[in-house]
This record gives sequence, structure tokens and C-alpha cells, in this order.
Amino acid sequence: MQLTKIIERILIAIPVILGIGIIIFLIMRLTPGDPVDIMMGQAGHVSEREVELLRDQWHLDESIIVQLGHFLKDLFRGDLGMSFTRGRPVLELIRETLPATIELAVFGAFFALLIAIPIGVISAVKQNSLIDKVSMAGAFFGICMPIFWLGIILIIIFSINLNWLPTYGRIDYGAKLHTLTGFYILDSILTGNWAALKSAIRHLIMPSITLGLPMAAIVARVMRSSMLEVLRNDYVVMARAKGLGEYAVIVKHAMRNAMIPTVTVIGLEVGMLLGGNMIVETVFSWPGLGRLVVSSIFVRDYPLVQGVVMVYAFTFVFANLIVDILYTYINPKISI
Amino acid sequence: MKREAWLLVSVFLILVMGLCLLSGCGPTDTTPEPVAEDEEDEVVVDDDYTIVVGLSQTILTLDPANHRDRVTETVIRNIYDGLVTRKPDGTVVAEIAESWDNPEPTIWEFKIRDGVKFHDGSDLTVEDVKFTFDRVIQEEAMEGETSPRKGLLGPLTEVEIVSEDTVRFILEEPWPILLAMLPHQQIVSKAYLEAVGSDIATKPMGTGPFKFVEGSIDDRIVLERFDDYYGGSPDIPPVGPAPAARVIFEFMPEVSTRIAAIQGGDVHIIHNIPPDMVGTLDADPNVNVKMVDGTRMHMFEMNVTMAPFNDVRVRQAINYAIDIDAIVDSVLLGYATSVAGPLLPHGFAVNPAIQPYGYDPDKAIELLSEAGYGDGFELVIDTEDDLKDVAYAAASMLNGVGIEASVRIWDWGVLRDQLIAGERMMVLGNWGNSTLDPSDLLVPKLRSNDRGNYSLYANPELDELLDAAEIAVERDERAALYYQAQEIIYNDAPWVFGYVRQEIEACRANVVNFEPSTDSRINLHRVALE
Repeated sequence: MQLTKIIERILIAIPVILGIGIIIFLIMRLTPGDPVDIMMGQAGHVSEREVELLRDQWHLDESIIVQLGHFLKDLFRGDLGMSFTRGRPVLELIRETLPATIELAVFGAFFALLIAIPIGVISAVKQNSLIDKVSMAGAFFGICMPIFWLGIILIIIFSINLNWLPTYGRIDYGAKLHTLTGFYILDSILTGNWAALKSAIRHLIMPSITLGLPMAAIVARVMRSSMLEVLRNDYVVMARAKGLGEYAVIVKHAMRNAMIPTVTVIGLEVGMLLGGNMIVETVFSWPGLGRLVVSSIFVRDYPLVQGVVMVYAFTFVFANLIVDILYTYINPKISI
Repeated sequence: MKREAWLLVSVFLILVMGLCLLSGCGPTDTTPEPVAEDEEDEVVVDDDYTIVVGLSQTILTLDPANHRDRVTETVIRNIYDGLVTRKPDGTVVAEIAESWDNPEPTIWEFKIRDGVKFHDGSDLTVEDVKFTFDRVIQEEAMEGETSPRKGLLGPLTEVEIVSEDTVRFILEEPWPILLAMLPHQQIVSKAYLEAVGSDIATKPMGTGPFKFVEGSIDDRIVLERFDDYYGGSPDIPPVGPAPAARVIFEFMPEVSTRIAAIQGGDVHIIHNIPPDMVGTLDADPNVNVKMVDGTRMHMFEMNVTMAPFNDVRVRQAINYAIDIDAIVDSVLLGYATSVAGPLLPHGFAVNPAIQPYGYDPDKAIELLSEAGYGDGFELVIDTEDDLKDVAYAAASMLNGVGIEASVRIWDWGVLRDQLIAGERMMVLGNWGNSTLDPSDLLVPKLRSNDRGNYSLYANPELDELLDAAEIAVERDERAALYYQAQEIIYNDAPWVFGYVRQEIEACRANVVNFEPSTDSRINLHRVALE
């Protein structure tokens, strides 16, 4: 039954993603700026014939409706088109860059949860204590801090001054990593290449912290308020009254219930992590999807932007589905 | 309570340090060096050295015929050679072509150097040269698509094989700048292209000093020295295989990251450095900043079809009101050269009689009054983000002569459509002129209705001069035509004649033989490490 529901949800996601694809298709076409003009740049000789041929090649000389028809026809064949500027299939470009983005998002989220949940719980348990005030001030700082700035500060401290961590990229050249999945951490473990694993982790530390810190700040605050609410419930008093230890009360009884709103926020934040990726990938020269889409927006590479946005949409929908499934695990009274 | 706070801070620090220790980090030489095949526990330094270059953007392709991007060309040019190339000062010299002749205005003949090999060991032949140019100039010659570099070869219509070592270029009409444009074309292997097709975009194979090893256009590109390299242009010594065993191009769009990477020793060369960062790098004894006059003309273009710029006196007044020298000194910190007229000061056919308008606010006020704008007017200067400081400085100077000037920052794609439609008053922009010839600056920027004519200036007399210069064969004749053209442009002042920025690049102190080029290309053929 549960599985049927999950499949149903996945099927419902298809028109959502398709709808987003059509919306982004229209938005890109309605955004001022001609891809051929931008490609030709602010220099040199360009012949009218050349411009005409490129427009024809990219179907820009046809009406938006006809162009949309081409887009949908290709889409149903599983083809996201050819990138205008790179002359390669969009799907291939996404396949090359997506693992880098997912790896960074996963480690960013991992870092965020690793610090946010304990901080949220401790702050709630020790409400109004110094530790609570310091944590919440830190969380406030984390929310306010521009990640662009944070990334640069980390580079200055850990790369230039301490020379501990590399400034850019995913892995040192020479790590000789044989890529199987494109996820460097996983690939280096699977192939037993420990030098590559070390190198990949060193490269991940600063981008993960930069990406994860704002999420950590939000999750910590939500976890704290949610815990505070739960701790005031009768069943917590009851648990204490029947003589359960503080650890059991907090972790087994209170925390599990307090996790529901936190998981919702985490689900939304995973989507936000992808958005944040664009900045972090630029600062740390991380070869991911975010950097790809930023450069393609400026040059009006319509097929590439459409393809990447659809991947983002899929991730959002998928993350929310996972959250819904997690609800049922945390609270069996909830069904999908 | 305090103890708990400290505990929390400590936990965070331990977490970060733990991750560091887990990954084995610590003060190390972070220059990427290869691991020996049999070593997997740690990164081992190779005997031969690697040069790492931090580029300011990702590249678009590795196919020499399928892009219009300078940074992409920089990477490609280290893998492929052309018939001719440019010295760092912009002079065109022979590369794969040994010599050339121009027997008729519409015919050029190139004799191909003997002993040039592709990276796969095959010999370069005239067939490859013909194939390369046919692929660019013929419509739909790239697997049904047309090369976006076609326009860079102007009226070239056909390439013929004359003999085993000579090819003939046939032009529809004379085109004196053919030679200056040829460094933008790189020779590919016919046999290889026919075998790999569009995969050339990811698997390039040329005759250049470095051969492609691995990498992708969004990650990094790794090249290795080509030991059978014929040596490159004899006019740019030393000739021979590259000293560097390996070259890595890393893509670092954020300037702070590039600066940090070179200061931290992670890369050896970076480019595209803004003037305000030069001080930081100059203060670092491990880094040398290098610069050369660039080829990108910066100017304020005034919409001559719109009041008040439809009055030449107002346009001249604006030239007197904006102190370009002060902008060069204080905003660009001296890393630019102001120009007197519409041409690059180090380019061809600069009219020596043209002197800068000069900063004269009184004269500006006088001219504005004569034109009926004694009380000033409202003006918006449009520009892109990276030019905003100059635009703000100019606006403040215009405020000084009674013009209510403000600045608006745009995304270029959005702004360009409005400029072409004549909906904006004044734009601060730039135009690349890598040939150093007036042709690819004045024609697109100032000929009536041409592609980059954002001032919408239209003058039949100027059009005639520019068209005549396009096909004039004799150098002196062309120069004379351009002299006249410059006088007209100077007097009509559709632009505030601006400045040319220096190309600012930096290398680690142990890098030798690295010289920045006027066209911003990073040529690594002769670059070595001490």
C-alpha cells in the first residue's frame, strides 16, 4: 500500500517537472537578450549570413510555439537538446557535473545536521543558559552571514594563512582516481584509493562548511523551538515521573517527536542547498551544476538552462517525497 | 555555564580539526603534482614540473571551430597551432606557414612548413589545412552545423591546394586584414576529424606544443608536452619542445579565489586581475604582476538620434566634461591608457594630428549653453557591473557641469537589445580589437547600422571611407583613409573617447619566460619554472 502511494507520488511529480520545464522555456524566451548576439561577443567581424545560419540551427527564427513543440518532442524522447554555446548534448553536460553538486550538497547537509541537531537539543534542554544564548546568537550569525563572504574568509584562513586546505577544485591532479560513479568520495572508497579519498575530503571541507552553515543555523533554531514545545508536554513529565533517565527522556521520547518540523525544514533546505551551490561552486571553483547554470544564464544558453532547472525541480520534488516518507517512519500515525 | 559555552565552541573546532586530520591535511606544498602509478598512499612529486594556470571562466569547447570565446581560444591555442601566430606585442609572425605571398589582392598563398606533426604522429599536410578552413567557411560543414567563426574569415570563399606544400586562399574581394585575423584559426587533422566527428569537442588533437591528456571543460584540462613538436614560430625564440612537462588549466571564476590560489602556491599563473588587486599581489614577494597594453577599447557611446545628443555641441561638451585621465589615475589606478580618438594608441593608422579633447569643464558649460542646455539635463549612463566604478566617476564629473547624471547597471543581454532599438541615451562599454587594425573596431562600431553601433551614428561620408579602407590593398592608402575617418569621428564625437585597459596577469616568482599578450592569450610554449 505504502509502495503504491510512493509510486503514485513519483508519477504525480512528472507533470510538475514538465510544467516547470515549460515555464522555464517560456521565461528564457521572454527574457531580453539574443543568444546569437551574445555568443558573437563585443568584438570582431560577424557576417549577417553567419547570424542567420546560427538562428536557423537553433530554431530561433521560428515562433515560440514551434520552438516549444521542438522542445517537447525532444523531451519525450529523453533528449534535452544541444547546448548552444558548448555544442554538446545537455544531458551529457548535466551527467558530467551533477555528481559534483550532489556530493557537495550531501556533505553540506551532513555537516549541517551534525552540528545543528545537537545544538538545537542542548539549547532547548538548557533554555536561557549561556550555552543557549551563545548557540542561538551563532545561529543568527549563520543565517545572516553571506555564504560568499564566509567562503572567502575560510579560504583566507585555512588556505592562505594556515596552508591546511586547498583553495579550489574537487581533487588534486595526480590522485589517479578511477571514476565509477562520479562521486569522488564513493569512487575512492570503492577502488580503495586512499590518497584520492584524502584529497577529495580535503577539498570538500571548506565548501561543505560554507554551504552547510546557513542550513545548520536554521535547523538548529527550528530544532530548539520544536524541542521546547515537546518538552512541555505531559508525556515528557510522565516519562520523568516514572523515573526514566534524562537521556532516555530527551533522546527517545522528546527528540523523536521534535524531529517532525525539523525534517520538513531539512527537506526544503536540501532544495535551498542546490541554490546555494551556485555561489559556493563559484567561490571554490567546484565543477558542478551550479557553476554551469550561472554561466549559461548569462549567455542565454536556453537548452542548458532548461535542462539544469528541470534537474533542480526534480531534486526539490524528490527531497520532499523523501521527507514525506520519513514522516511515516518518525510518526507512524501519519500516512503519505 | 561558561564551561558549556566553551565546550560547544571546542566541539565545533574539534570537528573541523578532526576532518582535517582525517584527511591528512597540514602545512604542505599544495601545488598539484602527479602521483606515481604505483604510489597510492600519498601524492608524490614528479621529476618534471607542472604549470598550473587559473583561468577566470570555464571554457566552452575544445573544438577550434565551434566557439567565439577568448578564454576558450587560450586553452585551444596551447593544443593547436595556426598558420600564423602573434607575438606578445601583437605582431603577426609565421607558425605552421613558413612563408606567404599575396600575388593578387584577392589571392594569398601560404607555404607550409615541413616536418609538422600531429599529436598522433601523423604528418600535417596541405589537405589538413584545406579541410580546416573549409570546415569554417563552408555552411553546415560541421556535421550539418555552421561554424560560428565563419565571420572571422571575412570574404574568404575557397581554399585550393596548389602543390604538396602550398595552399591558395581565394577571397571574394580584397581583405587586407586577412593575415591579422588568421591567428584565430587553428589547424585540425582531417583524418582525425573524420574519425571522431563531434567528439573533437572533448578529445582535441592538434600540432601544438602540448597534447591533451584528460579533463573536461567544466572541471580541469590537463595537457602534456608533445615531444615531437616542430618547435613553433622561429620568430619567437626559443624554438623547440616546451620545457614544461605538463600544463593544467583550472577554472576559477571568482577573482578572490584566483588571488588566494596564486598566493597559496596552488597555481602558477592567473589572468584577468582587477586593478584594485594589483597592490595585494605586488606586496607578495612570491608573486610577480605582469601587464601589457590590452586591445579592448572602452568608450561612452552617445545615442546621436536622441536629444540632447543629436546636437554635436553637446557631445563635444561631454568629451570636455569627463576627465578620462583622472579616471585612469584614480579609478583604474593607472593601469590603463587614455585615447585621443577612436583607435587603440598602439594600433595601426593612428592619426597623430588628433589630440585629446582634454578636461575643460568651462568649455563644456559654454558648449552646453550654446546648444540650449545651459541648465543641464537628466542623463542615465548605462553599463555593466564590472565598469560601474568608471561610470560613477564620469557621472560625478558630469554633475559638475550641471548635468544630472546617474548610473544604471545592466545584464548585457538585456541592455544590448535596448541599445540597438535606440532606447538608451549613453552607454559605457567596450569592444575587442585584437588585430590592432581599425577595420574590426570602426566598421562594427561606427558604420551605419552595423552590429555594435550603439551610438546609432550614421554618416555616409564615413561609411564610404571605411568601405574603401576595407578593400584598399596598399598600407599607406588604407592609413590615409583611416586618418580621414578618424578626423570625422573626432569632430562628430559620437563617443566620449575613453581608454584601453592593461591586461593584468600574475605568475609565481619562479615562473620564467611568461609574458602577457596584448590579446590576452596565455601562451605556455616557452614558459618554465626555475
